[in-house]
Amino acid sequence: MTKLAQWLWGLALLGSTWAALTMGALGLELPSSCREVLWPLPAYLLVSAGCYALGTVGYRVATFHDCEDAARELQSQIQEARADLALRGLRF
Amino acid sequence: MATGTDQVVGLGLVAVSLIIFTYYTAWVILLPFIDNQHVIHKYFLPRAYAVTIPLAAGLLLLLFVGLFITYVMLKNQRVTKKTQ
Repeated sequence: MTKLAQWLWGLALLGSTWAALTMGALGLELPSSCREVLWPLPAYLLVSAGCYALGTVGYRVATFHDCEDAARELQSQIQEARADLALRGLRF
Repeated sequence: MATGTDQVVGLGLVAVSLIIFTYYTAWVILLPFIDNQHVIHKYFLPRAYAVTIPLAAGLLLLLFVGLFITYVMLKNQRVTKKTQ
C-alpha cells in the first residue's frame, strides 16, 4: 500500500470514529464535558500541527549555524566571476 | 549560531506558536472541565469561535497564497511577452 493510501486510510478511520462519537451514533452516553472537548477536536489537531510547524521553523532559523567566513569568501568569488564574465562579453 | 535579526525572528516565531498553542489548548481541552461560575471563563470567547476563527484564518491564508501565485504568474507572463 502506498504512503498516500495509508494516510487516507488513517484519516478516514479517525474521521469516522470522531463523526460517530460526536453524533452519538454508537449509543454511548458521554458526559457533557467530554462531548464539549470532542466536537472541536479536528480543528484543535490542525491548529496544534500548525503551531508545531511554525515553532520548529522558528527554532531552526534561530539556531542555524552561520559560516560568516565562507559567506564572505563566496560573495567575493561571485564578484570575481561576474567581472570575468562581463569582460568576456556576457551581459547581466 | 544565527545572529541578529535571524535569532530575533526565530525566537519570535517560537514564542508566538507557544502562546497560540497554550491559549488554544486551554480553550478547547481545559475549559469544559472547569466550573461554569469560575472567573477564568471571562478570558475566553464562546466555544463556537474556537472552530470559526481558525477556519477563517485558514481560508484567509489560502486566499493570500492564491493571490501571491497569481501575481507571480502574471509578472512572469508579462516578462516573457516583453522579451518576445
